Amino acid sequence: MTGALSLAGGSAAAVPASAGPLSAAPVVAQVTAIEASLLAFVVLTALATAFARDVLAAVIVFGAYSLGMAALYTFYRAPDVALTEAAISAGVTTVLLLLTLAKTTRIDHEAAFESVNLPAAGAAGFLFAGLLLTMGDIPAIGSPDAPVWSNPDVTQWYLAETYAQTHVENTVMAVLAAFRGFDTFGEAVVVFAGGIAALLVLHREVFA
Amino acid sequence: MSDAVDDTDMTDTATDDPVDATADASTDEGAGEELPPHRAAPRSGRLDSDARQGTPYTESQVIMPTVKVVAPFAFTFGLFITFHGSGSPGGGFQGGAIMAAVVFMIAFAFGIESTRDWLANTVVVALAVGGALAFAGIGLVPVALGGAFLQYDLLPIPILDPVKYGMEGVEVIGIAPIVAGVLMGLFFLLANGFATENGGFGNGSLDEDGSLDEDGSLDGESADAGGDR
Repeated sequence: MTGALSLAGGSAAAVPASAGPLSAAPVVAQVTAIEASLLAFVVLTALATAFARDVLAAVIVFGAYSLGMAALYTFYRAPDVALTEAAISAGVTTVLLLLTLAKTTRIDHEAAFESVNLPAAGAAGFLFAGLLLTMGDIPAIGSPDAPVWSNPDVTQWYLAETYAQTHVENTVMAVLAAFRGFDTFGEAVVVFAGGIAALLVLHREVFA
Repeated sequence: MSDAVDDTDMTDTATDDPVDATADASTDEGAGEELPPHRAAPRSGRLDSDARQGTPYTESQVIMPTVKVVAPFAFTFGLFITFHGSGSPGGGFQGGAIMAAVVFMIAFAFGIESTRDWLANTVVVALAVGGALAFAGIGLVPVALGGAFLQYDLLPIPILDPVKYGMEGVEVIGIAPIVAGVLMGLFFLLANGFATENGGFGNGSLDEDGSLDEDGSLDGESADAGGDR
């Protein structure tokens, strides 16, 4: 379920980020073999994460899922998102989860996979079917007519004005640091506050 | 990191490590529980039991040289991602995370405790606090000069383009140190675990005052959540 949701978000987020140096509108793409295998890999690892009974196995498969998502973002020309996904999700989060596992008890399981909880599976299937119904209205990947790309007031405006106003080439960074700089300041403070909150929760006074 | 991962791996492959066998037998934590055959003997008990936490760090002939070779390149890549964010994908957040990951890698190879000693708490805190203060400072200087928060063109930077280098300053001395410092701090914090009188994690038997009662309940909840997942 999460896999499907992230996929929809990923393909939508890919279009504006692809913009930077490639000013020509991307051609509507067919699903290539690489793309199809990456999609299958991501869906399989997402399912394995959800169903793996052993927490350690779930954490490792989750790391593989993040790596697949990073490759997929790269494939859809969203390198900024791909870098973040690879560094934070595949790298740092996996390490932190492994550390946490090392601090807790690891239970031995007879079965490799969780048994399926029927009400939960029904609810998830219902939501999945509902999301599938909306797929017909989503523009094709890379379509030049997609509103998120062709919108003259947002995407195209930023692509046209970024260099003139901020003197940097990377539109994503210009939006983060200049056009939405105050939001980014808030996010940085949230990261900082997250570290402080971890100190409080674990009853520590020093980090290292 | 390394000792922790070694332990979790070795629970599956039931090794015959004499040090751990004797140590576990002496603490006999979890000895009364029924264990599956492949775990019945030497390695049993919680990973945070004294025996396991007291397990000396073991050097790996593969990991240590690999990390020695890879770490400088990975750190340089993190610096590149940070400094070159204006012209290529990346920026302070991604670069800071990569530089923190280099520290995780070093801790993997050379032991968490020695890395903790090498990278003092002062460095971690200075990175996080300094980054936050630098970001706020860059934002507030234009305010002091009569402009808006983060109005880069008012920054008093000689010769260089204030807009471009103001943004670079936010990325390089603001966001990247915050992210790197906080991630390193989380890593060392989680390696230490929950602070109790025994230095253990999740022993709720210490009821000497109200705060420790609260500890016990907190631990119980977290253990339950972990079991459900």
